[in-house]
Amino acid sequence: MELSAIQKMTDDELVRLARVLKVPIASRTVKRSWLVEELSNTMEERKEKRADKPKKLPNPAVDIKGMSKRFGKTLAVDKLDLKVSPGEIVGLVGPNGAGKTTTLRVMTGIIKPNGGEVSVGGHDIQKSPIQAKDLIGYIPEKPTCYPSLTVREYLMFMGRIYDVPNEETLVRMSHYLDMFQLRVHLDDYIGTLSKGNLQRTLLVGIFVREPPFVLAFDEPIYGLDPRGAWSLKAHLHDLKKEGSAILVSTHILEVAERLCDRFVIMNDAKVVGRGTLKELLNESTRATNLEEVFLELTGGIPE
Amino acid sequence: MLWNQFKRTIRTPSMLMFYGITIIGVYFVSVIISTVLSFGPVVFLLGVLVEDVLDRGTVFTAMGVLTLSSIVGGYFGLGPAAVLTENDESIILGAPIKPYQLFMSRYVRRLVRKIVFIFAGLVAIFPIVSSANILFMPLFTLLITTIIFFEVNYFLGGIASYFKVKLQQRTNNPIRHLLVVLLVVLALLPTIPSVTSSSVESMLVPSNAFAYIVTEVTGILSWGYGPLVGLQFLALGFLISFLFLSALCDFDYYEVFATAAGREKVEGRFSKIVRGQVDFTETRFSDPMSWIMLKDFWSRMRSPLQIWKYVYVVFGTIFVVYLNLVRPANLAPMQIPPELSSTAIPAFLLIVLLMIQLSSVTSLLSFVDEQDNIYLLKASPFKPIDIILAKYMLSLMEVGLSSIPILGFIAYFFRVQGFGALLTLAAPLVLIFTASGIAIGAFVPVFTNDPRILPVPLAFSFPVVNLTLGAVLIALVAALAHELLILVALPFYVLAIVFLFLEAGVHAMNSFR
Repeated sequence: MELSAIQKMTDDELVRLARVLKVPIASRTVKRSWLVEELSNTMEERKEKRADKPKKLPNPAVDIKGMSKRFGKTLAVDKLDLKVSPGEIVGLVGPNGAGKTTTLRVMTGIIKPNGGEVSVGGHDIQKSPIQAKDLIGYIPEKPTCYPSLTVREYLMFMGRIYDVPNEETLVRMSHYLDMFQLRVHLDDYIGTLSKGNLQRTLLVGIFVREPPFVLAFDEPIYGLDPRGAWSLKAHLHDLKKEGSAILVSTHILEVAERLCDRFVIMNDAKVVGRGTLKELLNESTRATNLEEVFLELTGGIPE
Repeated sequence: MLWNQFKRTIRTPSMLMFYGITIIGVYFVSVIISTVLSFGPVVFLLGVLVEDVLDRGTVFTAMGVLTLSSIVGGYFGLGPAAVLTENDESIILGAPIKPYQLFMSRYVRRLVRKIVFIFAGLVAIFPIVSSANILFMPLFTLLITTIIFFEVNYFLGGIASYFKVKLQQRTNNPIRHLLVVLLVVLALLPTIPSVTSSSVESMLVPSNAFAYIVTEVTGILSWGYGPLVGLQFLALGFLISFLFLSALCDFDYYEVFATAAGREKVEGRFSKIVRGQVDFTETRFSDPMSWIMLKDFWSRMRSPLQIWKYVYVVFGTIFVVYLNLVRPANLAPMQIPPELSSTAIPAFLLIVLLMIQLSSVTSLLSFVDEQDNIYLLKASPFKPIDIILAKYMLSLMEVGLSSIPILGFIAYFFRVQGFGALLTLAAPLVLIFTASGIAIGAFVPVFTNDPRILPVPLAFSFPVVNLTLGAVLIALVAALAHELLILVALPFYVLAIVFLFLEAGVHAMNSFR
């Protein structure tokens, strides 16, 4: 991706990258092709120096065993078993209050389970939270972000948090800004963005890191326009091929049906169905698509 | 983020204007107060009075009680989780950041903000300071050390919260709360006079160090050694408690935050008790204003504190009526020394002004309480003036009711010459302050697209605007006290200001972001 991404960068971005990489620009005008080549070579050299080993997720990348979560007297999740392998997109579907969001919040280490084990990338989320979180990309149900940061600042901040070298952040940022049509908002304050653009910003904030990821997305299509939704779905497929493990919680069953390889259907804190769409349809007597399977397992198909 | 907020402020004319109004306004109010009241003799007499009434040991114990209250508050509160926000939950809590790093960064941000506010505040109150013949450096020292002391108390509260969280993980037995008693004893033991009077080591306890600084800086009950030793110990206590609490911060606080944030969304115990009915089909009124008022009244009644407000109004009013009618001998009104008689009336008016200002905060929050629903209200087929008037009328009732007990107390305990006539000024003040609260509250969605949070410039400008208008009203009454013109001028001033604010509110409703 690197060379093609650098080639697509704007002139300002190239100069910014040159500053970060300390590539000297001696004359007032330089040839774009020369600068691109210089930057690309310097990035290669830096990469070789760092000698980063290519990351690979263990199988399963997400391993949840017998996880339960209570809020006071309310049982939010009851003895959930869930595995997500690298190169797999799993859809977590269920009605409101089924326990999907709680599952994602436990998985990302925001809240602790009352029982069971949760490991991400082979790291127990309770015993080694930092190592586990290093792999996780999380989009919450209600996207929120720091309103006083500009989009650029936020993306650079995310790069810093996840220890991505500045030059890598700049190149990846430029690539994904184009992919999610966010470039015009780069210097806008996050507090002034629309919901869709905020969602795009959060997504780019994850993708500035080096894959593979363990993605926990809660309603990722929320607020995105058709083009944004299409870009995201296409990119999730690419990430899947590269070995990321993806868990998507959504109510939009048409999206889930086309996006996910496997489904876990939850109702009243319990798993009521799991498997590929084919397996779920085979188990059902009446259902002909995911929506009907969902309705059948969560209270019956209305007449 | 702080830097960005600063940049935004200086680039946004409306924010600049509000900050300008705030700082210049406080300075103006401060000039008026220092002109009306001469604080020099008050401060001097206060010193003498304190030395007569208090002994050194009591001062140290009093500071210990402050620490104690922070520890108890911290034990039952959120501790370091209180610094977390919803945005953190989306971004940071799921990121590979250690909890102590998050706490320290949040805390430093808070400290920088506080320091900036202190400097702005010091500039603003400079006229009062110079009128009271108080030296700037001792005041500055006192202010800074007070803040450091409160910060240390905050840390101690956070540490108490840590112990509670850890204990709660081990047992649910109610006996575990005996820990708070132990912590209270630990906080109070070093403040007993036999400890504080004997050794310098007692100053290792922050409350003792602060009490020592207070006595040395003010000269009241001082030993005359100067405040430097106390300052060193307090700074040491600050650093140790800050680092200690930071080291204690762990992932359990994410859970504490998430639980507290989730709790706001479920129905509270009080709202279950105070349910009421908002059935508009049964209401006799067919006016949108009354519907909005009914909706606001019941939705507020279901919030935990509102019911206590009405309980306070009922019992407070009964109590002040009893006081003013029976005048019990064991609760005698304050005797104003003859030396202070010249400043007593302005001081009385100032107290009335401040008390009504405090009561009128409800009106400022009437729009903020709507949260995102304000957009639904705006999109509904109501005229903006109906919404503004509905909010104004309900707030007027609430502010008026909650002012009654306070004014009753002031009338009884602080009986100056002509207090009855002076108290009638409370009515125009309530009218004006409520209107300004409504107008400023209506501007919240103009300033921000998150109407749940009151922007700092708006929150600051509210008391300043009110105190300025109140001071002008009092000056008007004082100037025209013996003229018939007052019968026209006073209602005209009040009505003009109220209409101006309500009109501003309507304008704000038409200019939402």
